[in-house]
Amino acid sequence: MSHKLTDGGHVMHVGTLARVEGEGAMHIEYRDGVVTDVQLRIYEPPRFYEAFLRGRAHTEPPDITARICGICPVAYQMSACWAIEDACGTEVSEEIRLMRRLLYCGEWIESHALHIFLLHAPDFLGYDGAIEMAADYPEVVERGLRMKKAGNDLMDTVGGRSIHPVNVRVGGFYRMPTREELRSVRPKLERARDEAVETVRLVAGFEFPDMEQPYEYLALRADQGYPIESGSVVTSSGGAFAVQDFGKHIEEFHVAHSNALHARLDGAPDPYVVGPLARYSLNSDRLSPVSQDAAREAGLGPTCRNPFRSIVVRAVELVEAYTEALRIIDGWTGSASPSVAVPPRAGEGFGASEAPRGVLFHRYVLDGSGIIRDAQIVPPTSQNQRSVEADLRTMVESWSDLDDHALLHRCEQAIRNYDPCISCATHFLDLTVDRS
Amino acid sequence: MKAQSALVVGLGSPERGDDAVGTAVARAVAALALPGVEVVEHEDPTGLVELWSGRDPVVVVDAVWSGAAPGTLHVLVTGALHPPLAEPAWARTGRGGTHAFGLAAAIELARVLRRLPRSVVLVGVQAEAFEHGTPLTPDVAAAVPAAVEAVVEAIHHDSVSAPGIERGDAHVSG
Repeated sequence: MSHKLTDGGHVMHVGTLARVEGEGAMHIEYRDGVVTDVQLRIYEPPRFYEAFLRGRAHTEPPDITARICGICPVAYQMSACWAIEDACGTEVSEEIRLMRRLLYCGEWIESHALHIFLLHAPDFLGYDGAIEMAADYPEVVERGLRMKKAGNDLMDTVGGRSIHPVNVRVGGFYRMPTREELRSVRPKLERARDEAVETVRLVAGFEFPDMEQPYEYLALRADQGYPIESGSVVTSSGGAFAVQDFGKHIEEFHVAHSNALHARLDGAPDPYVVGPLARYSLNSDRLSPVSQDAAREAGLGPTCRNPFRSIVVRAVELVEAYTEALRIIDGWTGSASPSVAVPPRAGEGFGASEAPRGVLFHRYVLDGSGIIRDAQIVPPTSQNQRSVEADLRTMVESWSDLDDHALLHRCEQAIRNYDPCISCATHFLDLTVDRS
Repeated sequence: MKAQSALVVGLGSPERGDDAVGTAVARAVAALALPGVEVVEHEDPTGLVELWSGRDPVVVVDAVWSGAAPGTLHVLVTGALHPPLAEPAWARTGRGGTHAFGLAAAIELARVLRRLPRSVVLVGVQAEAFEHGTPLTPDVAAAVPAAVEAVVEAIHHDSVSAPGIERGDAHVSG
């Protein structure tokens, strides 16, 4: 909806955002080409996860927090495991890290394939949604479903289920897949990798509005490879800190119009961004050769700051996820122990991993018997709310010459650039009692 | 053989209270070992497009939220030979954790891709609660035998079903 105010101002309002996970709205007011108010309104009710983790055993967060999201449960499981293991002073084996990475590849594949083909591509090809797009581009949608299915099969094989895997535990896995089981998913992954390269070419041919984000980018960077299941934090201004220090740098705060906490980095007034653009811009040198070739062919440089081109970066990350999955499967000996013991101890632990839509931080405080005394979860969509709003402000002021309908559509598209997961963002409990 | 057989899909999450009713009914149907009928449990609606390709008839069992009494059955018929169901009938089925891509979207996407079976019967069971880690509520658990019967009937009487018509509600008392 878009309408004029009696004082000459304009209001653009979308009451229910489409093609995003969860329930949110967009509200923008502007007059004389200047935005006076912009709000990404997340009205989905808060879900109290951090509160009901208190009092639970240290073995429970991977299963409990996975339920925050049906799209990125592995991200919750992995960040939770790292944090609990950190609190207990336990380190897992390289094989367990690799199996976590492999499972995570399955999640990236499911999530990115869904977003690229069914949620985001219709914006660029001029359709209301995937169903309308499928009438004219059936082979593209079929390809997307095939590519997603390869991720489902990988999740099934490693995690025991394609949604909310049941094979993950603190310390590793209940059971490692055998070499034969892993090799059975190989043909689909190999075909999907080739189709992902084709997908990069396809989406690189879309038309992208000119826009550059000036914000700070924040992502993980690992000792080797593209950051997926682990790493330490780096920023585009040269900042670097250990995951254990995230609380010293990232501050969450509440705003009235959102049921998801906003976040700021090092007290800066400007927003920061997590997700594919940040990950790519801070780690493009770490992509495998096939992914780097695909990125180069798509016209991506070592960094990418146009949020509309995030669909190209996601496609490159799909190439990387299939390539990594194949690499891990091919090197798997099948002899590794599925888990290490994680005896509880009193302490605080931190964990982070790269969820499909950006860094997901977990922090837990345990008592001596492993009971959780405090929990904090900082999901990517929460962190990106301020940059979504900043993008909307920039766009409305830059493109005020567009007609109302076109501008409104572009604003909705700008939100979908982030692949926001509102269900993740509203996991928290922040009860403020105003006694004035 | 597989391409011609009937398919029963129990949709839903097995650890979310009444959302597990699709799974519970599917398991009960599987126990009947009906000849020519394959039964699967499934969570992700985007996978249905491939799963049911070339199958006929297809019956999907899922928890629904219609405002009716818990345990009430809703049997809806759609498919390639039937017009799309009215939007309010089920636009929100399968939502939650599937990124705004639910069963209704899977049906309509399959229709466009010419992968929709001639007949897809949705057997919906009105749910009461979706709490984490809880069992079926008593009214919903009591509706499982009637839902199983509805599935079996849908398979056997598929050819006489009226397009796009809700067959009626059968309230099952707790």
